[in-house]
Amino acid sequence: MVATSAAMTATIELRGLTKWYGSIRAVDDITAEVRPGQVTAFLGPNGAGKTTTLRMLLGLVAPTAGTSTIGGKRYDALRDPVRHVGAVLETSGYHPGRTALDHLRVLATAARLAKGTPMRALTDTGLGEDARRRVGAFSLGMRQRLGLAAAMLGDPAVLVLDEPTNGLDPEGIRWLRGYVRKLADDGRTVLVSSHALSEVEQTADHVLLIAKGRLIRSSALAALRAEAGVGCRVRTPDPERLSTMLAAAGYGVRLDGDELAVDAAAEQVGELAAMHRIVLHRLNPTARLEEAFFRITEQPGRPDEAHSFESAPV
Amino acid sequence: MNALVRAELLKLRSTRTLAWLLLATVAMVVVTVAASVPSASEPDAGLSFHESALLTRLVGISFGVPQVMMVLLGVLAFTQETRYGTVSSTFLVEPRRNRVFVAKGLALIIASVVITTATLVVSCTVSTVFISAKDGNVTTGTEFGQVIAAVFVVMMLYGLIGLAIGALVRNQVVAVTAALIWQTAAEHLLLDALPQVARWTPVGATYGLLQLGPIVTTQGTLLDAPIGGLLLVGYTAAAAALALVVAPRRDIL
Repeated sequence: MVATSAAMTATIELRGLTKWYGSIRAVDDITAEVRPGQVTAFLGPNGAGKTTTLRMLLGLVAPTAGTSTIGGKRYDALRDPVRHVGAVLETSGYHPGRTALDHLRVLATAARLAKGTPMRALTDTGLGEDARRRVGAFSLGMRQRLGLAAAMLGDPAVLVLDEPTNGLDPEGIRWLRGYVRKLADDGRTVLVSSHALSEVEQTADHVLLIAKGRLIRSSALAALRAEAGVGCRVRTPDPERLSTMLAAAGYGVRLDGDELAVDAAAEQVGELAAMHRIVLHRLNPTARLEEAFFRITEQPGRPDEAHSFESAPV
Repeated sequence: MNALVRAELLKLRSTRTLAWLLLATVAMVVVTVAASVPSASEPDAGLSFHESALLTRLVGISFGVPQVMMVLLGVLAFTQETRYGTVSSTFLVEPRRNRVFVAKGLALIIASVVITTATLVVSCTVSTVFISAKDGNVTTGTEFGQVIAAVFVVMMLYGLIGLAIGALVRNQVVAVTAALIWQTAAEHLLLDALPQVARWTPVGATYGLLQLGPIVTTQGTLLDAPIGGLLLVGYTAAAAALALVVAPRRDIL
């Protein structure tokens, strides 16, 4: 469990963060807060500016404008940053000829951590038996675990993970979900970037939605689900009649091929059809959150709505 | 700073790069000495089998390849971090990047002492064996101590120059290629074509510091050892200063 005092100061703040690469605006005036005790997803399509934003937060990329702080301090002003912030940025951040243990020993030595810390971090991430193997022989999943072990060396209150599920097999993804969840439950601040909505849906409490370098939404995942609504697809031999019934009940409905797409829960549609004795051949819930995600990310030019999804800070 | 230096030394020790470079260095020292001794019997070789400085000259010559290796070690100390992406974690642990560069420099200085000592042992031993086998002069004149001190300075400075090149160029292939062309071709061509100019270059200054004038040029144009040493220190300081100004400001992508 992270000490309360550490958690209290572990809020991530981005203020007007902007980055230009020549004439390309990679990140555009992002303002957001990430709070302790929850998993915050930094969600957006590839090339949206997630990695650049995270690298600015971590002092690896200089912002063109704006500031980013962790616990009120810029990253490069943190004393012993490894004890405050852990980061997993890329799977290729290892010398292939170095053993996993030596990789962590290098970092632990530079950070003046206790000698036993690297082995403990490897054991915690399930790599204890592979400590003396060269990283070049590791699978992608093992490298991701090694990245997490490196991030956790200093037992930090803040975790920043950039696309941590990339390349992981289903078992690895499942393990990672549990690991990240536990970190947040411990009171840590966990910021995870991802382009995969399905992953975010199963992990995150809060979502920062980014597209084309701009923050489109900052919202609790539950609120996003509520706004997106729920829906289903129906196949019936009498689509016109069912359509009329659903419209009369106030639900949005449209014909899509030989099915009806309905803005209502499958249970509600089923009950309505039964009430009117309409035969259904098929009734499937649809992933409306995904539709909402694509709808939102395709309309990035709405800065006035960037923080209007939920009035409370992130 | 101590922790950073220890971490950089661990980086050097924990891959096979240093071991291979050291092995290649020692092997090339043997080859260089073996190739140089027979030429000592030739009348116009600049070396006499009976002059008191024969051992000193052979030791000086034998450090040609180790100098190149030391530059490569310096280049790789930074470019490998860029190539494999470990530079991100390095700067996450110590965001004050100038401190990392200084730590790398100090680690390279320590490594250069070890490599130079090992090279000297091999060079002196092999040179003595080859010279003795032909009944040559194996005495150590007054210059011997000066050259021994000079090779430590040269190896240390070349490691730092390599680090500066690696920090400035970043692309490992480009940096290594540039360093090799500079040391093994460009300056030697210049030394042959324009010795009056070449004596002011880093390699020319090095030859002056190692007192190799009678061997590398017949025109007696090399700088005196103290001047050559000061010039080489100046080149190293300029390269390091440029690296410290330019490299830390770059984005780590």
